[in-house]
Amino acid sequence: MKRIFLFIISLAAGLGLTAALTFAATQWLRPPALHGLVMQPQQPAYNFTLMSHYGQTVSLSDFRGKWVMIYFGYIACPDVCPATLAELNKALLSLGKQSERVQVVMITVDPERDTKEQLAGFMPHFNKSFIGLTGTSEQIKEAATYYGIYFAKHQEDTALGYLVDHTATVMLIDPDGYLRVVYSFGTVAKDFADDLKYLMAR
Amino acid sequence: MKKIFLLTLLVTLAVSSCKPAGPKIMVDTAWGRQSPKTATAGAFYMFIRNAGLEEDKLIGAKSAACKTVELHESYQTPEGAMGMRRVTGDVIAIPPGATVELKVGGLHLMCIDKLQDFNSGAQIELTLRFEKSGDVPLTADIRE
Repeated sequence: MKRIFLFIISLAAGLGLTAALTFAATQWLRPPALHGLVMQPQQPAYNFTLMSHYGQTVSLSDFRGKWVMIYFGYIACPDVCPATLAELNKALLSLGKQSERVQVVMITVDPERDTKEQLAGFMPHFNKSFIGLTGTSEQIKEAATYYGIYFAKHQEDTALGYLVDHTATVMLIDPDGYLRVVYSFGTVAKDFADDLKYLMAR
Repeated sequence: MKKIFLLTLLVTLAVSSCKPAGPKIMVDTAWGRQSPKTATAGAFYMFIRNAGLEEDKLIGAKSAACKTVELHESYQTPEGAMGMRRVTGDVIAIPPGATVELKVGGLHLMCIDKLQDFNSGAQIELTLRFEKSGDVPLTADIRE
């Protein structure tokens, strides 16, 4: 009788342990879902060379060793662009010291109006570390094409003159220069920060 | 004397019981994002509620802090990009009983050619113009 009892106990314990381990493997050890479109397979990101708002020539390869977040936007865009840049700033603030390993870059889709001087008055307002990049129309078009960014000027009866429609995604590039995640417009600071923390810890 | 008093009372009661059938506009949680003067434009967001019985229309806005204020809308283009346009006819309808939200990525007021920095914590005075309710003054908080 006692044996049967022990057998049942150990069987139950064994089953319980198996269940717990399975649960741990599938839940706790499972990588968290990232909050954007994860690129598979990973491809090296296009190595642009543009002019920074500091007046220096900058290439993507200059940022090797850092996580780079690229956004295509423009200064006269008062709704979508500041919203995205403000979320990226909040994400960096919540990362604390780790944010030193992240570089946020905005490439203008309005090079006609967004000179390096204009960008110098705009970018640091969101975060002192943010870098604005501009170039010739051809350079911008090339960079946008390689990153799959659509943009087009559109005339509108507004005091702003013209507006630029543009894909408002944020692209995350790893320290080796590979495009890893693409985030759609509306991604919030916490999601950016959680993904960065997870990816940087690996 | 008593008659005059009663008459006055009756007239007063009659007038006050006659509820105006028109719209009743209330604006709530107006805010804008902090941005430097160099950023030519800035958006304002808010809730506009019509507690009345008739539709009203937002037909414009102005502020001493902006050279121009337009009604704009962000939208998704067929290419999947984000676009922005001036609201058709410069009119945003506020139906009776409805609350229209001006929000990030949607409808918003566009302050063009800022005349000052919008610093976090500051308050910007705005005046909304409605077709029926006329001018409605409000204060927008500038946030990060």
